[in-house]
Amino acid sequence: MSGLIEALASVVGQDGCLSRPEELLVYECDALTLHAAKPTAVVFPRSTDDVVRIVEACRRFGTPFVPRGAGTGLSGGATANEGAVVVECSRMNRILELNAEDRYAVVEPGVVNADLSKAALPSGLFYAPDPSSQLACTIGGNVAENSGGPHTLKYGATTNHVLALELVLPSGAVVQLGSATGWTVGYDWVGAVVGSEGTLGIVTQATLRLEPIPEGVETLLGIFADVVAACRTVSGIIQSGLVPAALEVIDRRTIAAVEASVYAAGLPLDAGAVLIVELDGPAPALPAQVERVRGIAAREGATRVEVARDDAERQRFWRARKGAFGAMGRMAPDLYVHDAVVPRARLPEVIEKVCAIGDRYGLKLSNVFHAGDGNLHPNISFDRRDSDELERVIAAGAEILETCVEAGGVISGEHGIGSEKRDYMGLLFSEADLDAMKRLRTVFDPDGVCNPGKIFPTTRFCVESNPRARGYDRVPLES
Amino acid sequence: MIPREAVQRIAAALGEEAVEEHPARELDGLAVAATLRPADGEAVARALEAVGACGLAAVVKGGGNRLGIGNLPNREALFLATERLSGVDEFEPAEGVCHARAGTRLAAADAIVRPHGWEIPFDAPGETATVGGVIAAAAVGPRAHGHGRPRDLVLGLEVALASGQRTHCGGRVVKNVTGYDLNKLYTGSFGSLGVIEGAWLRLRPLPERTAVFEASASRLEGVGARGLAAARRATARAVAIAVSVRGAECDVRFAIELAGDAPSVERDAAWIEEHCDARAAEAGAVDRMRALQGRDAEAFGLRFRIDALSSRLEPVLAQLCGRCTSVLVYPGLGLLFADLRLDRADAGQVDSAFRFAARSARAGGGSFVCESAPAWAKQGRDVFGAAASALPLIESLKQRFDPGRILNPGRFAGGI
Ligand SMILES: Cc1cc2nc3c(=O)[nH]c(=O)nc-3n(C[C@H](O)[C@H](O)[C@H](O)COP(=O)(O)OP(=O)(O)OC[C@H]3O[C@@H](n4cnc5c(N)ncnc54)[C@H](O)[C@@H]3O)c2cc1C
Repeated sequence: MSGLIEALASVVGQDGCLSRPEELLVYECDALTLHAAKPTAVVFPRSTDDVVRIVEACRRFGTPFVPRGAGTGLSGGATANEGAVVVECSRMNRILELNAEDRYAVVEPGVVNADLSKAALPSGLFYAPDPSSQLACTIGGNVAENSGGPHTLKYGATTNHVLALELVLPSGAVVQLGSATGWTVGYDWVGAVVGSEGTLGIVTQATLRLEPIPEGVETLLGIFADVVAACRTVSGIIQSGLVPAALEVIDRRTIAAVEASVYAAGLPLDAGAVLIVELDGPAPALPAQVERVRGIAAREGATRVEVARDDAERQRFWRARKGAFGAMGRMAPDLYVHDAVVPRARLPEVIEKVCAIGDRYGLKLSNVFHAGDGNLHPNISFDRRDSDELERVIAAGAEILETCVEAGGVISGEHGIGSEKRDYMGLLFSEADLDAMKRLRTVFDPDGVCNPGKIFPTTRFCVESNPRARGYDRVPLES
Repeated sequence: MIPREAVQRIAAALGEEAVEEHPARELDGLAVAATLRPADGEAVARALEAVGACGLAAVVKGGGNRLGIGNLPNREALFLATERLSGVDEFEPAEGVCHARAGTRLAAADAIVRPHGWEIPFDAPGETATVGGVIAAAAVGPRAHGHGRPRDLVLGLEVALASGQRTHCGGRVVKNVTGYDLNKLYTGSFGSLGVIEGAWLRLRPLPERTAVFEASASRLEGVGARGLAAARRATARAVAIAVSVRGAECDVRFAIELAGDAPSVERDAAWIEEHCDARAAEAGAVDRMRALQGRDAEAFGLRFRIDALSSRLEPVLAQLCGRCTSVLVYPGLGLLFADLRLDRADAGQVDSAFRFAARSARAGGGSFVCESAPAWAKQGRDVFGAAASALPLIESLKQRFDPGRILNPGRFAGGI
């Protein structure tokens, strides 16, 4: 391997290449700490050209590679399977252009999500996709995962905001996909690359759509006796034709964790759930919308609905939501953040079932989620050193995914499949469905060297979980 | 001519009633003499298998509105019509999503969801436009400004591949990152990768209030800026500008549609009246503009679609009006549809028109597609302009999805 390390160091310099075991330790996993794998090296390119030369070096030495942003991914997307070289993009963190008139920005992949909105603020614009990890996660990671956030309900996920990409293919070739106009001729490659979890190449530049900052915003906090009533309110709001900017539910256990932490927001500890409703848009529209939401919440049995009087109060409401994951760190050494989606009208019944699964396995399961999109995040607090508990965590997770799929849902709404859920793909997709995805993969990465071991199920599991998938291993992928 | 035994073989696979032989219908210079009408997804797959086995090719036909978009077909083909794949088979008002089969006409789907407070947010021109056709062509009309484009609205698809494999991607939920987003690839693929059988769509709530305005002008100056300012009002759902050019003169007409809650629409309406010198108009004003988009170019005419950055709309429009007979602009979408008239059937004039379109697209920071042209004018050209560095990818994807080249043969970007 030393030949490879030397070749990499010749591209990025000694200080841009890590290869000692103790240096590699932190790059063994992303925020899904249960999945770990040792990389051969970690390199820090500063330019597209660096990335090209890194890819070429890896190809010469027959070593796979995996792009990485901030490592906040929750599905093992950035783990270095098969001794891959980690291409860490944090030094490519320049905002290259901010065009206020045409409302787009051109950025390098290592730009931190929140920094883009900060830079756009003086122009009255913002970058809408706002994952809760936005203070740390990068645009490269967001593009790869098609990340969402609380405001995805109204504004869409990353895919609705990427206009163009520069991509270094696993062959080392550089391609420009899409256009700042948002239109493209030929296939929608940008759409296919967004959400491909770093398996089709390394994004070295992204052109992103910016949105005008809405004129007005109102934030409501509804307090409910139980989480089912909060979910019924969500369904009621959707059915009424309102399109709030955000609809977020926090359940009793999460409230307890938040209130005991530095993120305490003064939420009532006796509440079964709280619902944050954010309405934004033209100012004249908001008063009537606030009243409509109040009415629906009251009909569904809200015990109280507060409307933020000022920005400080709005921040207080959001503190509870955004600090939820951090607060859970106090409950147990480990946290498993699940991610699945169900049809919005099925939320009340599914959330009941999910809680029942947690109880049946004797686990500390709490919920904080993007209810308006039907995107659940059941969080399980546990201690991985307790092998029995760990087994129950895994088994409960599988049951939760099955429950969501049975309700017409899917197994990931924003965190991706990665290595975490690859063996559950058969719950949703047949052999032919997966084969179609593989055809796309082979266009970009015929040799499977870019982020190997992600998304696609291992043969055994696929066949077992879905009888329709039988014979998957015999399907020729190259035609 | 399609060999007799091929027709018989296909009829044996699909049933006699699903195969119609008819007098040749012209498709970009190709005489198409048979139409397959599979009744369901399974029949679509069997049809594709049979077509492939007979060494033939298929052009998928929805409402037939956008069949003219494409390069010259490069082999014998028959139509595969989706008209029997019709109907909204699932609709959940509480979720704001529905599943429609590919051949469902937009108006028919809309009639089902509208009484429940939702609308099908597709806005393509053409009375007969179908759900599958709009998706395959990624077709937009002026309301895509407010509604979003097909790529933003398709949640899941069922697609029969050239191999006869039936597949699905995406799902019925509004947020989904489970596997590759193949929806995006099929949307706008003009039937070159597979046959769309049905789709899950995200619906839009019906607005509480709409308001429509018209304005006119006799000079080009400031037209782009005015249109863009209107389009950037919060409730602007559609803005269309039609420019007819007569020598140095031009006649400019605006149609503006606002949609949303009553107080916001009223506020924007007042703004539009004041700043755009506009007056209230009847509801169909935007549809009439959209009809211009759907028209075929004249006998000696070419129609180009050009996309441009907002800041460059005005100069691109001016450039186009220097040579075109009419230009339709959707400023909020950054789209211009330009009609060019040729004096006669002369390849040199077509070359010059394509170069002009390419220059205009470059000036706008975008690209162009020649959406309508007589078959002779397409000879030896790619109507999709140049797809530049992505051409090898286009070729490679086609090879993997349709190695036998049986779907819309030769007609997509790069002549694949
Ligand atoms: C506390 C917390 C809250 C979170 N909240 C949300 C949320 O609200 N919504 C949400 O969607 N996610 C959320 N996440 C998940 C995570 O933050 C997102 O998936 C994020 O987009 C990952 O970005 P990253 O820079 O950390 O990427 P990484 O974790 O480093 O990588 C993620 C994936 O992107 C690929 N990748 C990275 N850079 C590139 C590149 N340049 N080119 C190609 N591929 C690349 C990697 O290979 C990997 O597959 C949360 C995570 C945490 C820890």
